[in-house]
Amino acid sequence: MKCLLISSQSAEVLFHWTDPEFYQNVQAQYGASQEDGHGLPAFEDSISTLFAPIIISCITMVDRLGDSYTSFTTENNHIYVLHQFDECLYIAVNGDGEEGEGDLRRKIYVMKKMIEVMFGMVTLSSNLLKRELRPQDTEQRARLWEYLQSLLETYSHLRENDQSFLVEAVERLIHPTLCEQCIEFLERRLVQQLNSSVERAGEEVLHAFILVHTKLLAFYSSRNASTLSTSDLLSLIIMSQNMYPSNTDQDDPNPEDIESTSGSGPESFYTPEPSPTNMDSRSSDMPVRESTPLFEFVDPDVQMAEDSLHTLEVPLPDPSTPRRVFLEVSLKDGLFPMMPHSMYCLPLWPGITLVLLTKIPTSAVAMSVYTFLEAFAKLEKRLNEGQEGPAATRGQPTIHDIRSKLDKFIKALGASEIQSAQLQNVWTDFKNRIGRGGPGFNRELIRSCKNMKTQLCGVYRQCFLIESGTADSPRRLSPGLQERAQTMVQDKLMDWKDFLLCIDLDPVNLTYLEDFPGLIHFICVDRSTGQMIAPSLNITERNVSELGKGPLAQFIKSKVWSLVSTTRRYLQKGYSTVTLRDGDFYFCYFLWFENETGYKLEAGDIPVLADDSAPIGMLAWDYYRKLLRYYSKNHQGEVVKCYELLTVHLGVIPTEVILQHCRQLASKLWEPSRNPLL
Amino acid sequence: MAELIVTSNPYPDLLSAFVCNYFFLYDGSKVRGESDQTREGICYFYPEETPLDRQELLCGQLAGAGRCVSELSSSPVRILNLHRNRFAIRMEDDLLWALGCSVEVPTVSVCELLDQLINLFCFYNGSVRHSYQLNSQETLASRWAQYLSHLQSGSSELQHIFSCLKTIDSTNVDPLLLLKAALILQACQRCPLVLAGCILFRGRVVSTQMSPQLTMKVMVHESGTYTKPQRPNGQSSSFGSAVSSTAVFLTPSELQYLQSTPVDKDFSSHSTPHKNTPLKKTRLSRTLSDTLSSTESEPSDPGSSQSPQKLLSPHLSESSVYSSDPSQSTPNPPPPQPPEPPLSNGKHSPVEESLEESYYHSFHSNGEGGSQIDNGGDSSAFGENSHLYGGGVDGACGEEFNFRVAEESHDNKVSEEVSGRGCGRVQGHEVERPDPPRSDAFEHPGESPLIPMTLYLHRVKGLVLALLVEPHFLSDKASMEEVYHSSLASLNGLEAHLRSVSPGVPGAPGPYIFAHFDCIQSTLTSNLSGRPGGAPERPFVRATSLLHSHFCNTETLQEAIIRSAGAAVYGTRSVAQETYFQQHGGSLRNSGIPNHQDSAFSLPGKARHRLLKHGVNLL
Repeated sequence: MKCLLISSQSAEVLFHWTDPEFYQNVQAQYGASQEDGHGLPAFEDSISTLFAPIIISCITMVDRLGDSYTSFTTENNHIYVLHQFDECLYIAVNGDGEEGEGDLRRKIYVMKKMIEVMFGMVTLSSNLLKRELRPQDTEQRARLWEYLQSLLETYSHLRENDQSFLVEAVERLIHPTLCEQCIEFLERRLVQQLNSSVERAGEEVLHAFILVHTKLLAFYSSRNASTLSTSDLLSLIIMSQNMYPSNTDQDDPNPEDIESTSGSGPESFYTPEPSPTNMDSRSSDMPVRESTPLFEFVDPDVQMAEDSLHTLEVPLPDPSTPRRVFLEVSLKDGLFPMMPHSMYCLPLWPGITLVLLTKIPTSAVAMSVYTFLEAFAKLEKRLNEGQEGPAATRGQPTIHDIRSKLDKFIKALGASEIQSAQLQNVWTDFKNRIGRGGPGFNRELIRSCKNMKTQLCGVYRQCFLIESGTADSPRRLSPGLQERAQTMVQDKLMDWKDFLLCIDLDPVNLTYLEDFPGLIHFICVDRSTGQMIAPSLNITERNVSELGKGPLAQFIKSKVWSLVSTTRRYLQKGYSTVTLRDGDFYFCYFLWFENETGYKLEAGDIPVLADDSAPIGMLAWDYYRKLLRYYSKNHQGEVVKCYELLTVHLGVIPTEVILQHCRQLASKLWEPSRNPLL
Repeated sequence: MAELIVTSNPYPDLLSAFVCNYFFLYDGSKVRGESDQTREGICYFYPEETPLDRQELLCGQLAGAGRCVSELSSSPVRILNLHRNRFAIRMEDDLLWALGCSVEVPTVSVCELLDQLINLFCFYNGSVRHSYQLNSQETLASRWAQYLSHLQSGSSELQHIFSCLKTIDSTNVDPLLLLKAALILQACQRCPLVLAGCILFRGRVVSTQMSPQLTMKVMVHESGTYTKPQRPNGQSSSFGSAVSSTAVFLTPSELQYLQSTPVDKDFSSHSTPHKNTPLKKTRLSRTLSDTLSSTESEPSDPGSSQSPQKLLSPHLSESSVYSSDPSQSTPNPPPPQPPEPPLSNGKHSPVEESLEESYYHSFHSNGEGGSQIDNGGDSSAFGENSHLYGGGVDGACGEEFNFRVAEESHDNKVSEEVSGRGCGRVQGHEVERPDPPRSDAFEHPGESPLIPMTLYLHRVKGLVLALLVEPHFLSDKASMEEVYHSSLASLNGLEAHLRSVSPGVPGAPGPYIFAHFDCIQSTLTSNLSGRPGGAPERPFVRATSLLHSHFCNTETLQEAIIRSAGAAVYGTRSVAQETYFQQHGGSLRNSGIPNHQDSAFSLPGKARHRLLKHGVNLL
């Protein structure tokens, strides 16, 4: 009984996902209320009708009370979690007891994160986002929703089975020699070769990494690339897992379901030989939409150059087509969220994937758009807070600062194929308005700001969401080049492949059962780098961990999962040390700070957060980054690092021994020799 | 990018959070048609000064969204969270209760608070729907307000967290006094019409025979009367002001629980007019030695030793008459008391006959007594509690009981008994107790039938003896007199002793804080001062609140240590108790890294050691 629904304020379904049970439940309810046999209405309509009263009530409460629902719990323990982002209302439901309120809230935030990675700054304009999420064309809508649904399912599967998605940190394979070799190979051979090729069509490989299942074998970033945030990296792992699911944690892998495992040899995973005909057929598959006006504009606020409104093309599962992803970029002159990149996901063998992230040639436009959007958003905020127009415009950054830049920007757009006439009009209108004043000035200016933001998002959308380039010269690494990259890495790893896949490395080379008698499991996370180490907890027949297999391991797993959610709950309320005696087990949780030299810093205040605050983790919302920033306020000029340790011991072990184990683990695990550098 | 939202005070005042922000009862059945306005469905809304459109907004939206969710999940909504308010919800038929507190309050506590509130209402008023048919909204509004303010009144944060009983500080009181209180209750219970009782002193429990939940309910009425200004002539010598009663309603399970409690009725005196034995006014007033002596004397009287069991059965049918639905009352009388096999010696029949007669007559006289009081215009003190059930039967309920009147009528009764004037019991009932208009009270399947009982209160200054009695106890002059007179002396003595007990020295804040919650008796022991603004104690209270919620939700959890920058708190629990402990002082400076020398991890040992002297054994 699970469901996730995104709705507009007018109760229009922007996205829905349900498990079969929920689906049947809705159908049954609708079937019962249907009078004579007109047949069941479309599922989308049923679900919309059923949820409409909640959605409308939610909006009413915000409008009239300034407060709104965050969750419902029924007597049979069905949980409904609601969260509104701008004009989109997210509702997540669980009726089978498998997810708590926290899990549902996290799911909502993850969904929003995935949408941001897919749509970038378009998400900043609710009007545009609503149209992206709900394309008029039903076939296209079905395809988009299917894709989002599969992403959500992949995420849920990972969260329920993969420790790195449980704690939201990246897990590395620990094999220092191999890792170092691979990193060197990526740097010296692969990325260099790709970036010097003419077939890269203006793109530049910034990051390259090799995944074994969800674990990182090697990661290389080129010198002029900014750091890839943990949040983005985890999102990319979800996307690559969605494309090439590893079946390690499925008891009964069905090869038919999983493309990447359908063959026996590596050759079947090569990208199909690309050819012009392939491209032609692909473009003819796509409905031609350029000529049809897709939207009716009743709201003048969102009036845009209609021709520019091609809906987003959902790429077909052609592996050579990169996925457009929007990732955070931190540069000297600031943090730029949602900058466009292309993501190439190249399967090497089942379970092993090479991912390339490239910067696209026009990405500078995104930076300009972001700067302008920020300026207008700030102005709008100041106006909303009641500052008078002229005073409001003097804030930082001032409109005057960006005035000439925006003029130039629009001029440059005019010369390109981007439709910018509407932006030009709105901008002219804005400039006129800001010179005036008088009654109603603020209100009009706020309206103008909103207009500008919508137009800027529209331009951004045209630039980065619509398949650019022509069919003849697509802007991407050529299929040939991709194939070469794939082969190079395959050659490199050929000898290691079985080793990597067969042992599915217990990443911890500690024989911890001997070193730490009574210790059952542990997870250690370096929150500054977003990396975690833990013994594997595979519970399937094929993978026998040190915990054995079957029900016992499954039981331990459920304990670990619930421990993580419990300690998060305490962390949310400001508790950084927790020990629990629960049944036959003794659980410990520690969070602490160190400086760069490993000196343990004094425990400080941890902020107390509301129950409905963003989930603690690194995937959807980086709690630890904020925590580090908060803590660092008292440690100016020092690099502060943050660590977490969770342990599960047998309850019969004396507490002193347990604490000694914890201390040893905490110091041992991050010894430099065990922790290969990037 | 959103920043961490840091609440300005990391330890917000929980007590203020426990204040109820909203409470309402909404009747959806009154808002069915298109033209019906939401306000027609609002039975009660707190705070009462809330503008009507806001009341309508909250009731309408919460009820609407709640119904929608309930339909989707085929189960009523229990908790509804907003960003700033946490609502516990109860939905029954078309009725919806919602109680909203700040989100700081743990979910378990809000739900508990709402349940308590509704149960309180039903305890004093019977079924909600029925009460609203009998009484005006204004009358009932004042009751909701009274219960609400009682539940929120003056308790400490910890008491709110555990929803525990307020008890006297037993560490300061001579245990013999507690024993004495228990004996008084036991003595009263010898009257078969008395189900159970409790003794309260200045709003705190001294001794109780009832479940914590029931004791809590009883205390509301007591505190309501206690806080009222005493009339000038309200000395204990005047029976009139010392004794009062009110109609109450028990759930079947509560009644069953009370009746299943073993009561040593063998020592019981004859509460009802007993021809064989002369009345002894001092009978129930006994100390331990009295009890012993009575043991020797009583068994010689077979009639009296048998009578309690016998007496029960007519009472049972009595109570089933009260329960509204004839179809429910006749085939299965609510109290599952196995019928006693009839005695062959025939001794019991005169007893029963006399009983029946006495019911009839006492009922008569009771009615007279009530009316006389009414005429006397003397019932103002408890006026608002009168006519709770509206029926003629309970006319005397809630009125002050004037003992002198009762005594006068007693004489009549005796003479009537002697004359042997018989009157069919059933007929008598029909005549005297026209079916009260409650046949529709329990027509809703969601509501379990409530059984009417009477709460009898005998006040001696700050001390109150509260007894749950069969409704006709009030009409049974002899029983009443016996209970009254037999306990009076003991109560006076107990009151004098309790009054002289110096309030416990608040004590310098010790090197540690603890709270010990007895889950069975629902009592709390703590060295936490109740003084307001105990800022240093706030981290402890906060941690306790979190841990208590965790214990409630995780059956297997036995103990926990949690540490924030401000405090390390140890919590442990067993089936019967929860204990929380925090050590002051010591170096709080720590790096948070696992360290077995860390003082936080020595808390369990310290707690075991330190709490022994508070009578808390954690071994």
